[in-house]
Order: sequence, then structure tokens, then C-alpha cells
Amino acid sequence: MAPEDIVFTICNTIFMVLFAVVTLYPILNTLAISFNEGNDAVRGGIHLLPRVWSLKSYSIVIHKEGIIQGAKITVLRTIIATLASLAANALLSFILSRKKFLFKSGLSLFWIITMYANGGLIPTIVLFRSLHLIGTFWVYVIPGLVSAFNVMVMRTYMSGIPDSLEESAQLEGAGYMTVFIRIISPLCKPVYATIALFSAVWHWNSWFDAMLYNRSNLKYTTLQYELMKLLDSVSTQSSANQSANALSQGNTATANKNTVRAAATILTMAPIICLYPFLQRYFVTGLTIGGVKE
Amino acid sequence: MVATFFKGEWLSMSLSSASSRRTKKRRSNGVEFTAKEVKRQWVLIVISVFYVIYGLIFNYVPLAGWIMAFQNYKLKTGIFHSKFVGLDKFKFLFTSSDFIGVVRNTFCMGALNLIFSTITAIGFAILLNEIKNLWGKKIIQTVSYLPHFLSWIVVCGIVSDALSTTGIINELLIKFHILDDTFLFLGSKPWFWPIVTLSHLWKETGWNAIIYLAAITSIDPALYESASIDGAGRFQKMWYVTLPSLRPTIMILLLMNIGNVLNAGFEIQYILGNDVVRSVSRTIDIYVLQWAMDGTNLDFSLGTAAGVFKTLVSIVLIVAGNTIAKKTGDERLF
Amino acid sequence: MKKKLFAVVMASMMAVASFAACDKSTGTDQTAGTAAPPDATNAAGESIYSEEAIQDMTMFCAMIGSEINSDNDIQELIAQKTGVRLKETWLTGQTAGEAIGSIMASGDLPDLMDGGDGSLTLYENDMLVAWDPYLDMYPNLKEMYSETEWDQFRQEDGHIYWANVFGNHYNGVDTATGHNGEAFWVQARVLEWANYPEIKTLDQYFELLENYYNEVKTMPDGETTLIPYTALGYDWYYFCIENPPMFLDGYPNDGCCIVNVDDPANPKVEDYNTTDTAKRYFKKLNEEWNKGMINKDFATQNHDDYITMLTSGRVLGLCDQYWNFGNDIAGPFKTNKLDSLGGQTLSEIGCDYVPLGLTIDAGMTNQWHSYGDELNNASGCAVTTSCADPNAAFKFLSDLLDQDVHNLRFWGIEGEDYLIDDDGYFYRTEEMRANWNDPEFKAKHCCFYSYCPQWLGISRDGKNAMNPGEQPSEFYATLSEPFANCLKAYGATTYAEMIGSVVCETYPWYPLWSWSNLLNNETDAGVAWAKMADVKHEWLPKVIMSSNFDSDWDKYMKAYNGTGVEDFLAGAQAEVDARLATARENGYTG
Repeated sequence: MAPEDIVFTICNTIFMVLFAVVTLYPILNTLAISFNEGNDAVRGGIHLLPRVWSLKSYSIVIHKEGIIQGAKITVLRTIIATLASLAANALLSFILSRKKFLFKSGLSLFWIITMYANGGLIPTIVLFRSLHLIGTFWVYVIPGLVSAFNVMVMRTYMSGIPDSLEESAQLEGAGYMTVFIRIISPLCKPVYATIALFSAVWHWNSWFDAMLYNRSNLKYTTLQYELMKLLDSVSTQSSANQSANALSQGNTATANKNTVRAAATILTMAPIICLYPFLQRYFVTGLTIGGVKE
Repeated sequence: MVATFFKGEWLSMSLSSASSRRTKKRRSNGVEFTAKEVKRQWVLIVISVFYVIYGLIFNYVPLAGWIMAFQNYKLKTGIFHSKFVGLDKFKFLFTSSDFIGVVRNTFCMGALNLIFSTITAIGFAILLNEIKNLWGKKIIQTVSYLPHFLSWIVVCGIVSDALSTTGIINELLIKFHILDDTFLFLGSKPWFWPIVTLSHLWKETGWNAIIYLAAITSIDPALYESASIDGAGRFQKMWYVTLPSLRPTIMILLLMNIGNVLNAGFEIQYILGNDVVRSVSRTIDIYVLQWAMDGTNLDFSLGTAAGVFKTLVSIVLIVAGNTIAKKTGDERLF
Repeated sequence: MKKKLFAVVMASMMAVASFAACDKSTGTDQTAGTAAPPDATNAAGESIYSEEAIQDMTMFCAMIGSEINSDNDIQELIAQKTGVRLKETWLTGQTAGEAIGSIMASGDLPDLMDGGDGSLTLYENDMLVAWDPYLDMYPNLKEMYSETEWDQFRQEDGHIYWANVFGNHYNGVDTATGHNGEAFWVQARVLEWANYPEIKTLDQYFELLENYYNEVKTMPDGETTLIPYTALGYDWYYFCIENPPMFLDGYPNDGCCIVNVDDPANPKVEDYNTTDTAKRYFKKLNEEWNKGMINKDFATQNHDDYITMLTSGRVLGLCDQYWNFGNDIAGPFKTNKLDSLGGQTLSEIGCDYVPLGLTIDAGMTNQWHSYGDELNNASGCAVTTSCADPNAAFKFLSDLLDQDVHNLRFWGIEGEDYLIDDDGYFYRTEEMRANWNDPEFKAKHCCFYSYCPQWLGISRDGKNAMNPGEQPSEFYATLSEPFANCLKAYGATTYAEMIGSVVCETYPWYPLWSWSNLLNNETDAGVAWAKMADVKHEWLPKVIMSSNFDSDWDKYMKAYNGTGVEDFLAGAQAEVDARLATARENGYTG
């Protein structure tokens, strides 16, 4: 290896290690705080190790009524919605990436505008109400099926696949759907994995839609929504309106918001970190296009 | 081979756009609009219709709510009976002495964020790709995206603690004699935007790099081989193979994110902002929260007007970006 | 295609219109039938409601709070006694206004509601049921306020739509042992070190802090430096930086202005931001800042940073309202045994904060602490028009004020949550107190219904407090030794006595902050109020940290005078006069 290569490799390695340390620090810090006792954590000054060990925060999180149901619904929602929206987005991307598609420009513009034009909170709620989606599970899945951002990313990727593959398949009599399922999709595994990851993480973390459409409906609550409510319940006050309330409840919480928030964060991150290795191979190892001699 | 393929594509595209100027019947992608072509593509067209219907229902129908921006919307009178006030709400926004400053803040923070996060995400992806040890690569990549899962409250807590006069940054700077006395970073107007940008980079670089990593994996290794044969070193390979192959992805992401430059700010600016830096920290969303979403000042019309304004700016920006991309022959949005 | 689009658009428009058109009931439901009586008996032979007879109702509070489990013990007991089980939901991740808007748009309206800041919006959208006919039916409810006070709650159409549940002492007897409001606070050990001197003025206060700091300098560990003074300037919490001039001149907490009562029959509204006292107070802060006595991060900290700093015990003095920091630091101060303190807690070494009622000059009286009730008519507990049985709802609210139900809510179950001593006084053991501080226990066992009608003061048995927080035995059991010594040295037995405010009746217009909290952009006064706040946010930190105070103060005044302050003061004066007139109609002579 040339000397400049060695220097580069060393510098790159050092840089990557530093980067990893810097980005790992907040995670370890959160982990440490989650295992710390509440009152002690308020003092601050916890870095990588808990100062006063306590599992109370995790206990509070796990024992909140609705967490289990929320976890079930969230898992269900993540799986169903990710797969459904992956399919919906992929199909649209396929259409838009066909170079000869007659309405390519128009349809693209139609969807791109949806990324920036939003009717606002109230009109959206009213629409869902008239579609009878409020108070159901499907309000989590149906509205988000097509995301212009994901479609555009996939379209770019699919456009990079040589036309010759499509042409030779069509010569053998394959229709567009066959091309999509048999030829293009297998080659799109990296981008499918990427979009699936984005989608899954989005659904896993979402709580705002649960609050708007299933506010008091415990049957369809989500994990993050329950955790958001829990975080609020362990904080002592938030406004002058509540000062009197705090007095009436004699509110001196022994479990502190910081530790409970840390525990909630760790618990929601853990499943994603476990899922990730299955998807990671698509990003990190190489994948040849193969099959075509130019 | 793929690179030359790209060049050829670019050539044919520019040819077809030239020819589209001559014969009106050709579309911008060089296809004639004939009955035969329609018949050939009927599957695509039929499926598209379903997508259009879906899009109309879920994305375009709520836009009817924009009429609220031109009314004095009250929950009681609803859309049909609220008083029509024309451009009053927009006038309120644009004549407010705060609003111009707030737009400027949002735009600048958004632009800084866009530029630097794109550069660092690409750079990180490329450099990570150069790590040969597979396990090292996997571990670093996993660790890098983890901060994305932390909420801004947690990250800003760490940031404000580190930057306080008793925090670690001041401690180190004084120890190494770079500073004589503690410096109030969070109270310094010139420092606020860099702090916001750096926080974004810390939290999102690893996550943003995922798309680029996925794109890099699809580069044909044969390209690298032929480049090696031609005598290319590591940096030349990066410059002449990796980056051009990433170009379509980079351009599309840039184009889409340019439209979002005014949506760049609420949480981090709300948490880290304070009275001393308020003239540079308040964003459009914070302004709307104060004037339109407060319990006492419940003004959905004002909020909608601000939203309409943001959308119009976004559309102008992406149209401009798209036109530039058209001219340079890059991947376009539409 | 176009037709379909048109049809879909029209369909959704119709949906919006129909939603807006419904809920038009005026909310004056006059039919007050008799509520169903209990239909079963329990093991002890008392008549209770059976499971079938218990109605489930929902309540949304536009405030942050905790959800209780659906199998909560005390909730079940209360449901059996009153016939209603109430599920409360709280505000999360939205402002009150957004939440009300989304709830209305989604059509999922609760039976009861406390709209918080958005209460007026609820009224304006005809969403609430009037209380008037039910007040006559349920004496418990009517008892909550006097005629004059009820009149304060009347809206433009003359009806009452909500009742605030806080700060209401039974029979007007104030038993507060604590002080929930604003004061200048100082650590007990500072007073002890100085041998409990008379600290009555702002100058004496800062002199004390400086002397202690210069002498002691660090915490007992020898390293962590002390911070003599801090105040929080974050967002809307900045009132403790901007409103002390009002208190320092001896006026009570009207919150937005001073009401001069030299002539009690003709109260005059004055602006506390531009008085001489204001300039002296900020000049003093500026001096202290330049001497390095004020926390360097005070202007950039947010609330969490502030609490973290306070729990280190380093801050000697501060100005704040108790609820803003007291509850947050109480736990850590009492329970963290620190190695740096030789295994003691911060409370034990004297870091608990003692309130002081300072004035700008010596010899003045102060009104930092208000005796008697503070009526906040801006928000309260309300019944919505989507409630199927308003009569049952009001009966439930009334039942909650029955002494046995009230005790269940705040004291708990006798024998489990509190014990009765030989003289008939309620008390708790350490274990019971720890339980009632544990979120998990509270979710399973405690049911406060904290935004529903409740009392403070002495309960109907004449002995015990309505709320354990006010029970003297509980108060004294939880005081630390240095704090107790402090109180003794000054001859005080409660926080209020320590502050030494004038014991007097509150005026009919008090507190004026209940008016200013409702101001919005639709009135000139409201617009001026918002602009004044902007200018103060911008300038007050600058003025305190300035190197040339007089010139910066003049610039601040110039900016301030351009905000239309006159409109605000005119609005305040009009409100004071209106409230006074209402009181006079009801027989007030003063």
C-alpha cells in the first residue's frame, strides 16, 4: 500500500472512532440516568455511570396502565403499516421511474406538492372524521400509505437500474407488473430496506396521531403516547394554573421526570436496535447489479 | 460502464428535450402521446389513477382548509360562516415587526442545516465505506444513527449543560488558556446559529448517511476495478466513481430538502432559545405558537396563513431548484 | 374525474359545515330531574350504587396531570358512593388552544372539562352548560362562593359556566402553613450564620448574601463555589424578574399592575414597571451582577437547568414563587444523603429556603402573602353540552364536596392512608407519606379528581384540615431542624408569619392577574400587553447585565413607552372599576 494510503487509513480510523465516541456519549448518558435514582438525578452531574442505582424508573414505566396494550398496537401498526406503505410507495416509484411513462412529470409534480402543502390540523381531523377513521386502528395505516419523499428516493434508485433489463424482459413477453416484481424489486433491496427502516421508525415513535384520533380510547393507544402521558404525570408542575393543583396533590414526586424520560427513551430504542442488524447488511455490504453485459 | 451509461443517458435526454421544442406532441421525456403508447402503458395508467384518487382525498381535499387563512375563523361558525377578511391575516403577518426577522432566522438556520448536513452525511458515508473491517464498519454505523432516537429535549439538555458557564466546554477552554474567563455561549447571538447547526449534525449525521450508504452499495464494483486498472488512487476513486454515482441521490435529496428550509425549526430553537438571543432564535413556528396557538389567542386563521406562506415559499424554491437541475442535466424532481 | 373531485370536495365541505352547525344548544338545560338514588348495600350496610347503576363519565383538563389506573381503589369507592366514575384525560404535547380545537374537530367531546387558558373559547363556542339552575339544587355547590364571587364568574350572557376549584377556604378560614406565592428566599443556614438578623429591605438582603458568600465561599466540600443569587428568566417564568417592584412597594400580587388604594373608594391603577422602585430594584440587580453575585447563566437557563442548579444547594438566595421550585427541590433536598456533606442531606445542613417579605425601604408594610381566598375567574370546572345527563354531572360535583368523599380524595382510606389520634386529629406515618409520594402507588390507589370542586381550610369536623398539606402536624413533621430553628428565632410558626405580611381583606378586584391572563389580540389592552411583554423580555436581561445602567435604562424606557402602555392601563382601570361596581351591587361597602 502506498504511504498516503496508510496515513489515510489511520486518520480515517481515528476519526471514525472519535465520531463513534461522540455519538455514543448521549446514549450512554441516557442509559446511566435511567438507572439512577430520581431525586439524586435532579442534581445533574451524571455522565457514564449511575451514581445511585435504582430500577424504580423502569418499574414506573412498565407498570403504567396501557403500556402493554400500547406496545401491542405499536408493534402491529409498525409491521402492517410499514409493509403496506412500502408496497404502495414502491409501486408508485416503479411507475414514476419508467422513462417512457406518459404522465411522468405531471404525476411527479402532483405528489411533490403534497410534501409541502398541508391543509393544517383542523381540516385533516375533519376529513378523517367524515371518513369515519377516528377511533379506529386504520387511521394509523391508511392516511400515511404514500409518502412523496420515500417515493422520490426510491424512484431515483430505480432510475439507476439499466433499461436493458426491462427491455430484455419485455422482449420475452413480460408485462410491467412482472418486471416490477421479478426484475426491479430484487435489485432494490438496499433502498427497500432503507425506506422500510424509515417507515418503521416513524410508526414506532408516533404518538401525535394516537392523541388526536384515539385520545381516550385505550384499545388503540400506542406505546409512545402512553409514555408521553407518563412523562407528564411525573412532572410536578407546568404553569401558574397548576400551582394550586400541586398544592392539593401534595406533589413531591420521588421519581423524577429526568430518570423516567431516560428509562422511556431506552425502552423505545431497544427494539429498534434489535431489529437493525437484520437490515444493516443491505447498507454495509456490497451488492452487485450483475447480470448484464454492456 | 455504468458511468458511460449515465453519460449516454444524459446525452439522449438533452437531445429529447431539444426535439420536444420542435414537435409539440412529444412529452418532456421524449415520448409521443399516441394511442399506441397509451395502449402499451395501460397498466401503469390505470394504477396511477388509483394513486391520484388517493392523493386527492388525503392530501388535496384538506387544502380546502386554506380558505381559513382568508377568514376570521372561529370554531363556532366553521368554514362556511366565518367572516371573510381577505388578506387581513397576511397583512398582520407581514406588517408585524417581528415577522421579517423570524422568517430570516428560520431561513438561515434551515439553509445552514441543509448545507452542512448534506456535506457531513455524504462525507461520513464515503469515509465509512472506506473502512475495510466489516465488524468495525457495522458497529460504527450502528452507533452513529443512535442519537436520532433521542428526543430534542434530551439532546438540548446535554448541549445546554455542556455550554453553560460551569459546563465542560468552558472548563476545557479555560484549562487550555484559550479563554480567560467563562463565556456565555448560549447568550451570544453570533453563536446561536452555529450551536443549532452543530447540534443537528451531532444528532442526525448518522441517520442522514443511511440513504447514501444504501446508494453506495449499489455501485458496480467493476467500476472501481477499471478505475484501479487506469491507475486511480483512493481519492481519485472517490471523486470520479463514488461521487458521480451518488449524484442523482444527492440532487434529489437536496431538491426535496430545499423545499423544507422554512420548516426547519421549532423544538431545538424553543428549548435552547432564551431572552438574550431571542432576536436570532425565534422561528416562524414559535411565532405562530405565541400569536395564534396560545389558549387565549386561539387564531387558526393566522396559523393557516403562516402555513400557506410557508408552502408558497417552498414551492417557489423547489421549482427554482428543479429548473436549475434541468439545466445542469441532473436528476430532476419533475 | 372532475365530477368525482367535485363530489369529494363538496362532501368534505358538507362535513365541515354540519359539524359547525351542530352543538348549537345554548347550554341552559332547565330540566332538572331527580337523580337516581343508591340501589345496593355494601358489606358495612351502607347504601351504595351497584355496578350497573354507576355512570361512566369523561373529563378533559387542558392542563398537565396524571392518569389513574382503571382499577384504582379509591375511584371505585367514590363511584360506589356517588354513582359516577370519572375518567380524566390531560393535556399532552399541545397547547390548551390546540387541544380544544382538535377535540372539537374530532367530535370526541368529554362530559366535563376544564379548559384552562381556553375556557373563554369554550364559552364562545356554546360548548358549556350553565351552572345557575343547579346551584339552587345543590347547596354544596352554592356554598363554594359568596354571591359577589359567583357574580365574578358570570359571562356576558349573565350565566355562570364554570367554577374555579382552587384556593377556596371553607368558611373563609385560612389555615395555610405554607406560602405558595412569591417571595425573596434565603437559605436557613445563611440566617443562622448571621445570627438571625432583621432582613427587611432589598439592600439588607443583598448585603447578607454578599457577606456570607465572601466569608464562606464554597459548599462544605471545599470546592463547589456558592452562587449568591439567581432568578429564572426563561419564557413565561420571568415574572420573578419583572414583578418584584410591585411587591417591594408593599402591594399585593395583582400580577400586572399596582392598584393604588390611598382612597379605597376610588382605586387607581398604576404601572409598576416605570416606578422609582423599579429603577432602584434593577439598578441593585445590576450592581450585584457587576460584583459577580448573580448566577452567570440566569438569562440563558431553562426551567430544568434552574432546578438542577437549585438542587445542588449552591444557590444562597432567589426570588420566585414557591410552586415553581419548592415542590421540585423538596424531594432531593430531603432524601439525598451526600458524601460531600458527610452523609447528611441538604435539608439537614440548612439549605432549605426561608421566605422573606422585603420592601424597598425600611418601615414599610408588605403584602407578599395574601390571606384569604384568591379568586381566579379565568377558568374552572365546567360541564359540556355533549354530556348526556348534566343533572347527574352536577350531582356528582356536589357529592365530591361531601366530607366523607372529600376525605377519600385527599386523605385516603382511614387505617390505610391515615390514622386518627386520641384527640381526633388525622396524622400519617412515614410509610404512608412515602406511599403518597410514589407515582406507581398513586396511580393504583389515589383519586384526587383534582380539577373538580374541593376545599381548603378546616374541614367540617372543625379540627382537621381539608387537605393534608395544611394539617399542622404534617407540616411540622416534615420541617428540617435548621428551618424550624429559623422560624423559632423569628417568632414565627408558619411560612406566612415569617413573611410578616399585613393581615387584611383582599379587595373585590383582586387578583387582577385573572383578567390579564385572559387578554388576547382582539382588544387594544391585549395588544399593548403583548408588546410590553416583548419589550421586557428583550430589555430586562440587558439592563441587569449592562455595563452602563443609566443609558440602557433610558433606552429600555424609550422602547417601553412605544408599546401603547396607556391602552393597557386604561383597560386595567376599567376592569377594576367594573369589579368594584359588581361588588357594590352585592352589598360591598368600601
